[in-house]
Amino acid sequence: MEAGYGAVRVLHGVSIEIHEGETVVLLGTNGNGKSTLMKCIMGIVRPDAGEIVLETDGRRTNLVGRSPEEIVNLGIALVPEGRRLFPVLTVEENLRLGAYRRAARPDLERNLAFCFEAFPVLRERQRQLAGSMSGGEQQMLAVARALMSNPRILLIDEPSVGLAPILVSRVIAKIRELKEIYQLTVLMAEQNFNQATKIADRGYIIVHGQIEFEGHSTRELTEHALVKKYYLGV
Amino acid sequence: MFSFHLLLNVIVAGILLGGFYAAVSLGITLAFGLLNVVNIAHPAFVILGSYAAFVVNSRFGLDPILAGLLFMPVFFLLGIGVYRIYYASFEKRAEESLRGLVFFFGIIFIIEVSLSLQYGVDYRSVHAAYVGDSFRLGPIELAFRLAIPCAMALVLTLALHLFLSRTFYGRAVKAVSQDHLALRLMGADPVRIKGLAFGIAIATASLAGALLIMIGPVEPSIGREYIGRVFAIAVLGGMGSIGGTLVAALILGVLESLTSTFYGPSWALAVSFGILLLVLAVRPSGLVGRAG
Repeated sequence: MEAGYGAVRVLHGVSIEIHEGETVVLLGTNGNGKSTLMKCIMGIVRPDAGEIVLETDGRRTNLVGRSPEEIVNLGIALVPEGRRLFPVLTVEENLRLGAYRRAARPDLERNLAFCFEAFPVLRERQRQLAGSMSGGEQQMLAVARALMSNPRILLIDEPSVGLAPILVSRVIAKIRELKEIYQLTVLMAEQNFNQATKIADRGYIIVHGQIEFEGHSTRELTEHALVKKYYLGV
Repeated sequence: MFSFHLLLNVIVAGILLGGFYAAVSLGITLAFGLLNVVNIAHPAFVILGSYAAFVVNSRFGLDPILAGLLFMPVFFLLGIGVYRIYYASFEKRAEESLRGLVFFFGIIFIIEVSLSLQYGVDYRSVHAAYVGDSFRLGPIELAFRLAIPCAMALVLTLALHLFLSRTFYGRAVKAVSQDHLALRLMGADPVRIKGLAFGIAIATASLAGALLIMIGPVEPSIGREYIGRVFAIAVLGGMGSIGGTLVAALILGVLESLTSTFYGPSWALAVSFGILLLVLAVRPSGLVGRAG
């Protein structure tokens, strides 16, 4: 896939593959195209070339050219960069909006109860405005809101940004837990290598809009020279 | 002559008037407060609603309130149509601020001129058996022509409140101007949501118009008197809060009623602009405004 904004090319022939039930990380520092890739999958940015194929129940669906609404309705949810909550709606209203798509509505109450159980702080603050919560609470709300849509595939864009290290571990641990319960397929973009590899089955390293390295396991990722250089400082 | 009895009746009349103001302002709260669409033509749509009620009332003798309710679906579609044009011409290209305002000015003139050409500039009114009657509640005299509009306004307020707080569409309407991309990520199309909400806002004008012509006679340009009032109420009510709109409308109604009784009717309009300025200076987020 190739993509960019106007004359600026961001992704140069990126190709990745995610299988059902996997947790795949997309590692890269700022400005290497992680978010653009996420936006392409969600239909927010239209790729200039290439295709994005979803294979479910033996059916192939090309996502390119579809609107974000259609893609959400196929069971893909994004926890966007910067969280993008509705700041002047309450926590509960944010969560209920997460279940907007028709396929998610019948399960709303069950999912809501589950989210409150998984994130007790959200239950405590359900009547509070989302914008008035701390960064960590907002990130949890963003993840919970995405889960409310009953997704099969969850895309998470940089959950660690702006969070204290202790909160990052907590959010990452929660994502792993939820992934098991919901049997999700997860693609997570991160620059926090240590945290990301805690939950990843495997991953890709993206540099300047190209896949620089594909690690078939977290061990392969950790041993890769680029990782040592950029993330581990070895 | 000041007396407690008079004061009580003036306050009650103000509450009834305020209820009616709520009906006129709810459309502004929706369009301006929640959708960021500066629909200054809303009072003109209300006048259009008055004339719709007038026409079916004078031709077929239909009850004006019933006429207002019957025209709501027509106004709903009209609202969606207006929003589509507004969206395609201005909002899509991010030119809505000034040009959008001119667009709605244009709509005011189109509505006023069309009504003047068709029905003249004379005052028109509706007839219903109960319009001239009143009933007594202890020391308070309640005129049906004020009490019924107030009751209908309360029903409308409650209906809109339930729509916004209990339905998926309603919650999406509240969210759409906060982050329209995030709304798309929930699977909702912001343009459809805004069209639907604007349609509902214009549909309320149909009922509000019927209430207006029940309260008193209407001529095509009378809507101009309401532009200041409805914006004062929407701002005082906290921009986008249905309950806040009702409270603000009641406050304004009572203040206007007191002012026009004790100082003279010509001061009544000064009250709304006074409130608008005061609120913008002291508490711009309104009575129940949520901090952005």
